[in-house]
Amino acid sequence: MNDISLSAITGFDSGPTVQLKELESDHIKFSLSNVDLSVANGIRRAMIADVPTMAIDLVEIETNTTVLTDEFIAHRLGLIPLTSTDVDKNFAYTRECNCTDYCNLCSVELNLNVKCTEDRTMEVTSRELISQNDNIVPVTIDDQDPGILIAKMRKGQELKLKCIAKKGTGKEHAKWSPVCGVGFDYDPYNKLRHTTYWIEDDEKTEWPLSENAKEEQPPIEGEPFDYNAVPNKFYYKFETTGSMEAKDVVLSSLNILQAKFDELRNELKREQNMNQYN
Amino acid sequence: MNIDGNENEAKLKILSSSSDEGCATFSISEEDHTLANALRYMIMKNPKVEYCGYSIPHPTEAKVNIRVQTSEETTAVEAMNKGLDDLIELCEHILVEYNEKLDLKNYKYDEGVFDTENKA
Repeated sequence: MNDISLSAITGFDSGPTVQLKELESDHIKFSLSNVDLSVANGIRRAMIADVPTMAIDLVEIETNTTVLTDEFIAHRLGLIPLTSTDVDKNFAYTRECNCTDYCNLCSVELNLNVKCTEDRTMEVTSRELISQNDNIVPVTIDDQDPGILIAKMRKGQELKLKCIAKKGTGKEHAKWSPVCGVGFDYDPYNKLRHTTYWIEDDEKTEWPLSENAKEEQPPIEGEPFDYNAVPNKFYYKFETTGSMEAKDVVLSSLNILQAKFDELRNELKREQNMNQYN
Repeated sequence: MNIDGNENEAKLKILSSSSDEGCATFSISEEDHTLANALRYMIMKNPKVEYCGYSIPHPTEAKVNIRVQTSEETTAVEAMNKGLDDLIELCEHILVEYNEKLDLKNYKYDEGVFDTENKA
């Protein structure tokens, strides 16, 4: 990639640079420099709303004698994160699939069948969900992880149901979002005055500096406001729900953005060709 | 098909009232600020472009309109094409950068949930 040509286009001194600060399977911290706010925000938005994962979308309840209503349980099941590595490649969206209802190419079946026979409270967790596909299973951290609580039962109560997990994105329902709490920060000293702090007495004591401030030049007292300045360093920090690896969420979001632009470029060509023959 | 289930709508429509090729409005369905704001910025970076702006006409309608007006040296469609090309190149560059930094492995890493080898 040619750095010089790219910086000529974007108007920054050099091409975009990435600094990776922390990376764990479910957590990442990095910064992106020399890009425009619109592009940086596009990446943030794509990570939240456009990266596909699997989540339970249909629930067929056979028996439910617990104290919780069917729809209440169905909602709880939908929010359980399922491991969704490579879902982008391996599954189709049900609405785009050739099947009439749903099939193995666009969905995964999970079953739950529990009955409380003991004389004490029983906890039904995501561990009891039996998936038909070994790659799409409820997220657990390790063997000690008790799983996510779905319902509690007393003696004699029973819960038997079939779930259909489908591929989807966060823009349809937040349950499909692979990330939670995406931190997106720029200009920690507020030199650009994009924010107005709400204060009672003193801004400095009421609004402590962000940890990212140590990477930026502090403002000089009495410095005139630079109205030509633009933000150029963006700090990202997020955790995943466990459905995907943090590093893959970033990769996926960039690929998705690129695919969006590419699709539009092809559409533009098609539109042009159509006009020529009309 | 898209989320809303309207299958027949074209992804992109070019709305231009006059015969002037220098200006056009591009109506894109099923897109939002994620794509439009970055595209607006990139088209505006082209010195031959005099104006580029976008709007989402109604919050419940998944549609954006991008307006492009150029000087006489180029056409609106060309400017749009260049904007898209540049953005694809920019994404590619960020991807390469990011992958390079991943390969350096100078961060702490824990396989955790995704440690498939040590998991029963």
